Amino acid sequence: MTSQGTRRMVFMGLLVALATALHVVEGMLSIPLPVPGVKLGLANVVTLLAIYLYGFRDGLTVALMRVLLGSLISGMFLSPGFMLGLTGAVGSTMIMALLLKHTTCFSMIGISMAGAAAHNMGQLLAACLILQNSALIYYLPVLLLTGIPTGIFTGVLLNSLISQSEKSGMLNDLVRTSP
Amino acid sequence: MTRADKFLLAGLVLFSLLSMAALYSRFSGGDDKLQSSKAVISVQGKILRTIDLTPGTRSSFTLQGRLGPSIVGVEGNRIRMLEAPCAGKVCVNQRWIENPGETIVCIPGEIMIRIEGTAPLDAVTR
Repeated sequence: MTSQGTRRMVFMGLLVALATALHVVEGMLSIPLPVPGVKLGLANVVTLLAIYLYGFRDGLTVALMRVLLGSLISGMFLSPGFMLGLTGAVGSTMIMALLLKHTTCFSMIGISMAGAAAHNMGQLLAACLILQNSALIYYLPVLLLTGIPTGIFTGVLLNSLISQSEKSGMLNDLVRTSP
Repeated sequence: MTRADKFLLAGLVLFSLLSMAALYSRFSGGDDKLQSSKAVISVQGKILRTIDLTPGTRSSFTLQGRLGPSIVGVEGNRIRMLEAPCAGKVCVNQRWIENPGETIVCIPGEIMIRIEGTAPLDAVTR
């Protein structure tokens, strides 16, 4: 365990805390749309940042810890909503890590759009399994369409976050300190 | 935004619009809300008659309960008890029922009216 390992651990803790806070605050905001379940996906920014910095495993850690802690804080642990958030988070983390690692043509905007779509699909799959009812698939187009602008929004946020912090050297100092 | 991003964006929009068209087109033919339901009327435990509740119809009829004649009104897809010989008039005061599963019960007259059919929604969760 070098000082780099410690830095990484501390930074992961910060990311989990940030993601949890965003997750809980986001749950309190309601989007003025007639359909339930539409969210900004701000917490996804942190997941994607973790994947970008450390890779899939740590991204998944942030996503899982965020859903777990967020549900404990908001009192939704093991509720249907928790299950949906869990499958959505796992699905989107897998897709985003896959795209980030194996493609070069997408910017953060594309990756976060794909993540939003994967989140929605995973969520609906879980909802269909929980309710034993495939009729929920009718909700998919609505979720996908609303996921596009929110995916773009979080992608733009992340693009500027990464470019700003790389310009100032902050991320390099914090995360990738050479031994 | 790179070129691949734009392709992905266009692909997602196209996919959701196509799936929307594919999923929702089957609803445009028959109006789901006008799906007819049935009212089942039973007196003293036995089914007396079943009425199709089709929109645009209007009728009323008399049926014999345990206490005497009661008048039932039907209007479109809803049904109510218009007059009853009982003292409480709970059934009359309940007024119109229209959703599957709703019932009007007249205990002194031993009359029960129940609407059967598939409910448009069976659960709403947020």
